[in-house]
Amino acid sequence: MKKIAILIAITGLFIFASNQEAQAQCKQQRVYHCARKGGNAIYLRDFNTKLKAVRSERSINGTKWPVVLNRGTRYRFILCTPSGFANDVKLTLFDSKHPETRPWNSTEKSGGNMFDFICKRSGVYYVSIRFKQGKGKRKTCAVGILSFVGKNQ
Amino acid sequence: MIAFSKNLIMIKKLIFIFISVIFFASCGDGGDDDTIVGPDSQDDVREVQIDPEKINGLIESFPSPIEMAATIEDLRVPYSKKYLVPTEVAADFDSNFEKALGLGMLSADLGYLNVYARKNAIVEYLTSIKRLADALDVDQFFEFQTLKRLATNSNNLDSLMFLSVSSYHDMDEHLRKTRRSNLSALMITGVWTEGQYLACRVNKFKSDKSTEEIIAGQKDILKELLSVLEFFDDKPKFKKMNDQFRELLKLYDNVEIKLVEGEDKISYGLDSIPVIEPGEHTEIIYTQEDLDKIQNKVIQIRNNLISL
Repeated sequence: MKKIAILIAITGLFIFASNQEAQAQCKQQRVYHCARKGGNAIYLRDFNTKLKAVRSERSINGTKWPVVLNRGTRYRFILCTPSGFANDVKLTLFDSKHPETRPWNSTEKSGGNMFDFICKRSGVYYVSIRFKQGKGKRKTCAVGILSFVGKNQ
Repeated sequence: MIAFSKNLIMIKKLIFIFISVIFFASCGDGGDDDTIVGPDSQDDVREVQIDPEKINGLIESFPSPIEMAATIEDLRVPYSKKYLVPTEVAADFDSNFEKALGLGMLSADLGYLNVYARKNAIVEYLTSIKRLADALDVDQFFEFQTLKRLATNSNNLDSLMFLSVSSYHDMDEHLRKTRRSNLSALMITGVWTEGQYLACRVNKFKSDKSTEEIIAGQKDILKELLSVLEFFDDKPKFKKMNDQFRELLKLYDNVEIKLVEGEDKISYGLDSIPVIEPGEHTEIIYTQEDLDKIQNKVIQIRNNLISL
């Protein structure tokens, strides 16, 4: 009986541990390396998310965050993913007038893993990180970085 | 028969343990991605009926403590320590209200010191922030020893800046996750107020169109901030502070922010990074008198807040 108890406890712990792993965001080290890709731009904040495998079109795919941007500032958005996922994930910048389906920009739209945005209106914008359509068969994590390039005078 | 019964009980216990483990495992972090937390508890442990999704979203959206400092440095404004909250004043913050507000203000000041690379003052401000973080029970997210080591090693200023800002965001996130959004709201208020105070002081020292527009252009952001703070209007300290921000917002009545349509532009910098410049932009219309009133009020509010 004791053996059965030990077996159940170990199985339970394994399930618990593997579940935690599956839900994990990217590690801080990846966030730091991603922030450094911005060159001289100053790190402002990160958008760190887990991406669950997409099994159907109705699956929850990715995360969105609100972010206040200031008029006259040039911002840099960078997307980093673990190796093997570079072409599967996109970062999108949008707002209420330019919804996610018609965004200001995305890494998918402009190509590459970063773009700059010169803010011309102070207010709340949104950043999302999601699998591109048809991708996302495997779970992963992704990091977006917002950094300050300079005032656009 | 007795042995069989004992075994049955044991099996039942094991099944219960197994189900419990599975249950807790599935509870881990498996909610929807746009995670929110429930209603906040206040200083006096009363619960306030608020929309947690709305308030956390608003708080989360607020600018980083380093952004205003980076803007000021980018405008080539000379460094001055006299703009910052004196650390001896911060040592007197005694209620959680003051500490959370002070944590935001000092984080903005630390951002300022970071962008101007003032190592000695950085250590002094790190020590003050550590004290406040300890008192608010968020010190586990503030890596004081690492930050101090980075501050004393001039080669690691980028890492210092990164860790300072990410520690701030981690403390803020932890407060929201532990149902202390009232303190988180105070942190962003501290960051915003100190940032505006810095901009106003800099503009009074050397007036500049860019700095003026930063100050005058805060009308909509101040409205956002007030929409967060007004969730806590039933608390006397919040009410007193919010009244001051409402007076400030009133001074923005004459400031007009006009939206102008235009053609979007995409260009490529020297580093081949695509640059998006929206055609749609805002024009900020204000008089010098409006600006002076706003600046004086910001300075007054900030000074009132540090002498609570």
